Order: sequence, then C-alpha cells, then structure tokens
Amino acid sequence: MSDTPKMIISDSGMLNSPRNRRDILKLMAAGGAMVFLPSMLTACSEEDDSGGLTNPGSGTTVTIDFAKGDIAVLQFAYALEQLEADFYTRVVNAFGSSNLSTTERAVLTDIKYHEVLHREFFKAVLGSTNGFTLTTTYPNINFNDRLSVLNTAKLLEDTGVKAYNGAAQYITDVNNLLAAGKIVSVEARHAAAIADLLSPNTNAFAPTTFDDVTRPATIAAAAQGFVVQKLALANGPASFVQGPNNNG
Amino acid sequence: MEQTTLVGSVDPEILDAVGKRADEIAQGARINGKLAALLALGSIPIALGAISKDVYGQTPSDVLDVLQFALLLEHLEADFYTRGVAATGMIPAGVQTVFTTIRNHENEHVTALQSIISAKGATPVARPAFDFTAKGNLAGFTFGASQYLTFLALAQAFEDTGVRAYKGQAGRLINDKAVLNAALAIHSVEARHASQIRRLRGGKGWISGNSRGDLPAFTQGVYDGEDVVLQAGITITSLPDAGSNGGVTGATEAWDEPLTKAQVTAIVTPFLP
Repeated sequence: MSDTPKMIISDSGMLNSPRNRRDILKLMAAGGAMVFLPSMLTACSEEDDSGGLTNPGSGTTVTIDFAKGDIAVLQFAYALEQLEADFYTRVVNAFGSSNLSTTERAVLTDIKYHEVLHREFFKAVLGSTNGFTLTTTYPNINFNDRLSVLNTAKLLEDTGVKAYNGAAQYITDVNNLLAAGKIVSVEARHAAAIADLLSPNTNAFAPTTFDDVTRPATIAAAAQGFVVQKLALANGPASFVQGPNNNG
Repeated sequence: MEQTTLVGSVDPEILDAVGKRADEIAQGARINGKLAALLALGSIPIALGAISKDVYGQTPSDVLDVLQFALLLEHLEADFYTRGVAATGMIPAGVQTVFTTIRNHENEHVTALQSIISAKGATPVARPAFDFTAKGNLAGFTFGASQYLTFLALAQAFEDTGVRAYKGQAGRLINDKAVLNAALAIHSVEARHASQIRRLRGGKGWISGNSRGDLPAFTQGVYDGEDVVLQAGITITSLPDAGSNGGVTGATEAWDEPLTKAQVTAIVTPFLP
C-alpha cells in the first residue's frame, strides 16, 4: 500500500477535471485509491459529454509560461485547438437530434476533422513534457440548435484567427511561424464558411479589410468561458505590437 | 551584399546584439547602443552582411522586397475585382455584395502596403497593365456578361495563390513585427476570400490534396505541393484518430502550404504585360 499513490479529491476543482465516469475510473486505476466526496457521482454521468455541470475556470490551473518561448505559443495554440476539436466533436455527435441542414453538417464534419487533426498534431509536437489536456464546458450552448451551434462555431473560428495572428509576434523560429501560418489560414477559411452559413452572400465571410491581431491574454480570457481548468499565462510578454486594426 | 548601405540595412535587433557585445568589450564605458554598434561595425564590416543574412535570416531589405512583392499581388487582385465589379451584367445580383466586399479589401490592401513601403523610404511598385487572358490561356476573357464562371475560376486561383504567397514570405518578416502583423492580418483575410469564392463555385472552402478541381491546367502551380501530410516532422495521417477524421483528404485540407516567391512569380507571370 505504501507504494500506491493515494488520490484525495479535496476540492471542487479536482472534481471538475474528469469529464465522465469513465475518466474517473481511469483516474482511479491510475491513482490506486481515491477518496470521494458525496457530490462527485452526481456531478458527472456516463452519458454526460456536455461538461455542462462544471463551471469555467473552476478547475485546477493550467499555466502557459511564456518563459518557454516558442513552446508557450504552441501550447497556447494547443489549448485553442482542444477547445475547437471538442466543440465540433460534440456538434457532430449531436447530429442525430439537431436541426442543422445537410450542407451545414458537411461543412461542420470537415471542420471537426481538421480541428481534431490540429489538436493531435500539437499533442504530438508538445509531447508529455509540454502537453496538457483541457476539459471543455459549454454550459450555454444547445447542440441541437442550428443557430446556437453556428454562432459558437463562428466565435471560436474568429477567435482562433485573431489568436494566431496575435501570438505570431512572439515566435522566434521561422519554422514555428510557418507551422502557425499553415493552420491560421485554414481557421480563416472555416470562419468564412461558418459566417456565410449564417448570413449567406453578405460581407459576413470577411467583415473587415484586416483581420484582428489580438494579444494572448485577451484570447485566454475569452477562451476561459469554455474551459473548466483555470487558464493562466505566466511571464506574458509585456510588449505587444498592434496590428492594422489597432485593437488587440 | 549590403556593404554600401550597411548601417541602414541592418536590423535594429542586430544593432542591439552587436551593441551588447561592444558594451562588454568596452567594459563599462558609457556608450549608447547605437554608437557601440557603429564602433563594432568598424571592426567587423565584412562579416556583418553575412551575419544579418545567415544568422538572423532577415533584413530590412528582405522586408521591403516582401512588401513590394505583396503589393504586386494585391494590385493584381484589386485590378481584377475592380474590373469585375464594374463589368455590366457579369456578376449576378445575388452575389454583388461578396465581390464589392472583396474589391474594397484588395484596394485597401494596396493602399496599406503603399503606405508602409513609402514610410520605409521606398517607392511602391506601380500597377502593371495586367493581361487577364493570361497570355491567351483564357483567350477572349474580357469580363463579359456571359463570363462570370471564368471570372469566378480566376478569382479562386488568385485568392488561393495569395494565401500561399503571404504564408511563404512571413518568415522573412519575423524581425519586423509591425509588418509581420500587417501581412498576417491580410493573409487570413485572403483565406476568407478564398473560402467564399470556392464555396460560391460549389466546392469546399478548403483545398483538398493538390487538386485544382475544374480550373484550367495552366493554374496547376497554384495547388502543387498542397498535398503534403508531413507537418513539422509529424505525419498527420499516422496520428491517432486520423483515419476517422478525413484520412489523407482531411490531413491535406487542415493545413495550407506556402509557395516560394519563385513559384508565385511563375503563377503570376502569364498575367503580367
């Protein structure tokens, strides 16, 4: 017994980390022993993949430390890609009960593929040393409702574009800059497609002459609304060079 | 090499780096960074061109070169859409807003790049008299009332090229953050345009493999190399879940690829006078 780590769930944040009972069972297997609080099993259920019973920012802290240089930017991207991948996975999983059109489902399925691949790419790049797994939560989103899904998708894609654009200035290796550039334009393609599904053939697909260039702290605060863990940026760069819209 | 205009062509970050070294050499002498850099330059003038190119990789002359190149591409797009929107009866009423939006963006990109280039003391490249028949590849194309589909096909080629061109040049801007930001802010807007145009043509907003779809063969260079599945040393198709997330198609769609300046030049050359 002395060799077996004892896992004590002592605060609500730890309760919020496992997404469902299966994950808790995995944790138990890993931890060997576990002390439950009474509320734990009511806080998640086998089918609960919505994360709707957990509050954003209530979990353990995940820190992205900019002292790590380019790795921090990749971690920042990884966090966003996890959000997007989880979101679209839930969207696709809810197709059976949603009122999305056939065309919309085709677009959202493609995007789900892309975002999952982006997530797995960053996971592989960062490895176990620099990787982390976020638990997402979408308390105010109705995955059965077309408008709820598309509006959230638009928000996530637009956020992704301005996040990559704003984090690029902290990248020091041209290879990493290119890696980010290869992804951000696909996010922009997504953003345009989603916006056009919402408002066909208006200027919604590209509402501004220049996309926003937004600093990581602002993005992290916006992303926090979908993440159970507390997102923290450490040693965040004091300087930020504004983009053409001068609003980042 | 930039020996004749050495100081002017050296990036401020290089000056800082050289300055720090000179400061160490001076051992406490109160010299400001720039003066120290000049002193240091005096001792290593021949080497500096090599340092700024090979170690740092990017110089202000690179930045200007990128800006002028980007301006040429924006001229191409701006002229194309300006003519398209002005053409009587070509663009269907239901999508006029899409094209006036893109036209406005491209004209504003031109203006912005001209301003940046001028601010850096150079003369912005003038707009050439473009040949939108692409040296006869699109013989008879005159933005005519019945030629909307040709216009749309060209638009796709230009937008997808623009995205890849900016991506290919971004690395040369890594030391000039303001210009990098401007380029990135344009790059993603070009991607939005590309997505919209592709979807107007009944396709996906993203590029599958290296397929040009139904575009004419002379545009294949726009899509060559878009079919890679190796990203930063990682084979995307071998990742967990890749098989259930689009496979090779998903892996090529999820990443856009850069084009070199030479590749872009080859694509654009048929449209130049």
